Amino acid sequence: MHNLLWLQGASCGGDTISFLNSEQPSALSSFEVLNINVLWHPFLSREQGDDVVTIFQKILAGETKLDLLILEGAIPHGPDNTGKFFMFHGRPFREWLAEFCKQAEMVIAVGTCAAFGGVVTGHENVNEMSGLQFLHNQKGGLLGPNFVSKKGLPVVNVPGCPSHPDWIVETITAVLKGWLHMEDLDDFHRPQVFFSKLAHHGCPRNEYYEFKASAVRYSQQGCLFEFLGCKGTLCESDCNERLWLGRTGSCTRGGFPCIACTSPLFPDKQRPYFSTRKIGDVPVTLPLDVPKAWFVGISGMSKLACPERLKKNAVSSKWIT
Amino acid sequence: MATLIAIDPFNRIEGDLRVEIEVEDNTVTFAKSSGIMFRGFERIMSGRSPMDALVITPRICGICSGSHGVAASKALALAQSAEMPENAYYMKNLILGIEVVMSHLSHFYLLFAPDLTSPRYKGLSVYEKVNHRFTAMKGSSVVMALNARQSALEIMGLVGGKWPNSLAIHPTGTTSTMNLSTLTRTIGILKEFQDFLEKRFLNCSLGEWLDIDSFDKLLKWQEKSGHNGSDIVLFLTMCLEAGFDRIGKGPNRYMSYGAYDLPDGSTWLPSGFFENRLHPLDQTLIKEHIGASYFRDAVEARHPLEGVTAPLVDKSGAYSWAKAPRYEGKTVEVGPLARMIIADDPLLTDMMQQMDSSVMTRMFARLREMCRLTKEMSLWLEKINPAEPFYASPSSRFSATGIGLTEAARGSLGHWMKISSNLIENYQVVTPSAWNMSPRDESGQPGPVEQALTGVHVADPKDPVEVNHIIRSFDPCMSCTVH
Repeated sequence: MHNLLWLQGASCGGDTISFLNSEQPSALSSFEVLNINVLWHPFLSREQGDDVVTIFQKILAGETKLDLLILEGAIPHGPDNTGKFFMFHGRPFREWLAEFCKQAEMVIAVGTCAAFGGVVTGHENVNEMSGLQFLHNQKGGLLGPNFVSKKGLPVVNVPGCPSHPDWIVETITAVLKGWLHMEDLDDFHRPQVFFSKLAHHGCPRNEYYEFKASAVRYSQQGCLFEFLGCKGTLCESDCNERLWLGRTGSCTRGGFPCIACTSPLFPDKQRPYFSTRKIGDVPVTLPLDVPKAWFVGISGMSKLACPERLKKNAVSSKWIT
Repeated sequence: MATLIAIDPFNRIEGDLRVEIEVEDNTVTFAKSSGIMFRGFERIMSGRSPMDALVITPRICGICSGSHGVAASKALALAQSAEMPENAYYMKNLILGIEVVMSHLSHFYLLFAPDLTSPRYKGLSVYEKVNHRFTAMKGSSVVMALNARQSALEIMGLVGGKWPNSLAIHPTGTTSTMNLSTLTRTIGILKEFQDFLEKRFLNCSLGEWLDIDSFDKLLKWQEKSGHNGSDIVLFLTMCLEAGFDRIGKGPNRYMSYGAYDLPDGSTWLPSGFFENRLHPLDQTLIKEHIGASYFRDAVEARHPLEGVTAPLVDKSGAYSWAKAPRYEGKTVEVGPLARMIIADDPLLTDMMQQMDSSVMTRMFARLREMCRLTKEMSLWLEKINPAEPFYASPSSRFSATGIGLTEAARGSLGHWMKISSNLIENYQVVTPSAWNMSPRDESGQPGPVEQALTGVHVADPKDPVEVNHIIRSFDPCMSCTVH
């Protein structure tokens, strides 16, 4: 049996809500099939008040083994580095959290906030938030760059705003089975298996992208990259291959741009969200790994080669052919 | 002698709450509701492009991101004088509707019902059945409801792309469209959810249940054989045996901004302010007070358009990160009960006359709305025409003021924005649970939940389940409240 403690920091609860969208296994079945004993989960557990503190104290005293600690939400350090923006049972939440991390065999940060600070670090981090082991793309965070949990791994980051339920359940699976090693994580400690793809992969607008047949207004079929702000070619995630909510949708399938919410630099470096910044005719958000000169050359040629069918459909909100 | 009891964390709600009560002779004499966490969303907003509101504000809340999207898009639409094609009205209503229905479903099964399994209720006729069905994370109905939720949310994928945090809702329409396949599939998924409600939750057709228009008829329906296996009859029986009709009286003033906009300019659920009778809503009468909130300002209360968010953690006398919204200086209850009263729902209006506001009426209003919305969504789906547009060209110019009012699952949600030079100058959000869970204001007037707790008899102060029921009957969302 693996003991799990799930905590929410400066959180919207959205990663729990997303976790509950898990399909096979469902969120509740995942506990069963993975042999997980939920010590406490703030949204799901019956215990409240002093009973929770008793559970906490047993973990901190070493009486209850903490196999897995999951955090969603950022860590509040403010105001003026006092941690008082979140007092949990009369004590700054970050102090509880730092102690749990010392006891934990493994630590997972679920969602961009817990991993990198996320949306609440907007506006030059006026609210003094951080992730567990990162602030944006810089190592550090609450625990410092050298932290490793008892099993010897740093905090495993599973970002996304929210994180995909598969990413959460599968990371838990890999961690509990001992399949996840340092070399399986990328520079930002994300499991490469989910975050080495791009949101662009599997996007149904890829044919439009190839021929630079672009939508000029939302609700149209064309590619959202050239004019409408899509960051799918920069965003490290497998959203468009995996799909969301019973494999029914994704951001670009819903007609809106990817805003690269799995990035350590979310939310401020992805602006503008709804239009594409360019120098001359060339978007500044060129796809990762693609040499600029080649991209410009290929784009010009593919635009010339664009079939009529795509030109029409790109700016239409319904299928013409 | 008075005993002070602090429940911290008061969890199995959305977000972080601390509750303090003073109990004397088994009666609550004093109650305090504290939002204990601050994230500072309003401070993140200033200086941004107005459209950023669609990205940032839904992230205030994981359970009602779509409602924030609707409020932000309405504020922007006002500032842009935007118009929407007809399809977009129904698409937005579907996104908001499915979010609210799923929230109500999760609230009942995941958040509220586990308290019903307390050993306190061993003597009740339904105790064993309630435990079998509603035990936290394991009860048979809990598991079925969560599976039904996960399936029904496929509608959100088809209509909104992803959720939480869909960006499909824009001031001039929806970025998402529907075609023959997605429309057909959505209709099918909604029908499956209706089947779950009819088979497990109601044990009768949705139509038969919605036809119940008085408490008397509800009791007669309960007696009719065949319904006894349903979750709602189990809950009804429990409410009456345990006396949930007698605890949790709120301020008896109700407000709704109205929601589910329709192309003819009306809303499916009407707006209004109810005190003894229905009055037209006037949002200029709203002020947020900070007397007991961790904020500093030169004045004690401001209309949200002039709102200021300056945290002051060591403020003397303060105990919450929630501001205290008041309507004409008065506390107001918002949420499904308020909406059903203002919409003149016959069953809830009758129940209010018979038993006043209580845990029971509040819960039945929520479950009633869940059923009404499920039916209404199927009608909205019929109105969508894939051949017609879903989106209109937006203007890139914004006027000085945007106000977006809607109804989230938990009640009235408002976004107020001031724009200058096409950038956000000030953005203020007043959420449903800020109304319900608010702390005292500068005059010492307690918030609705604080008031609802005061005077309640608790059989066992060491395990005050009555307090649990009352607070959770309001379905607090503290993530929203403190934002």
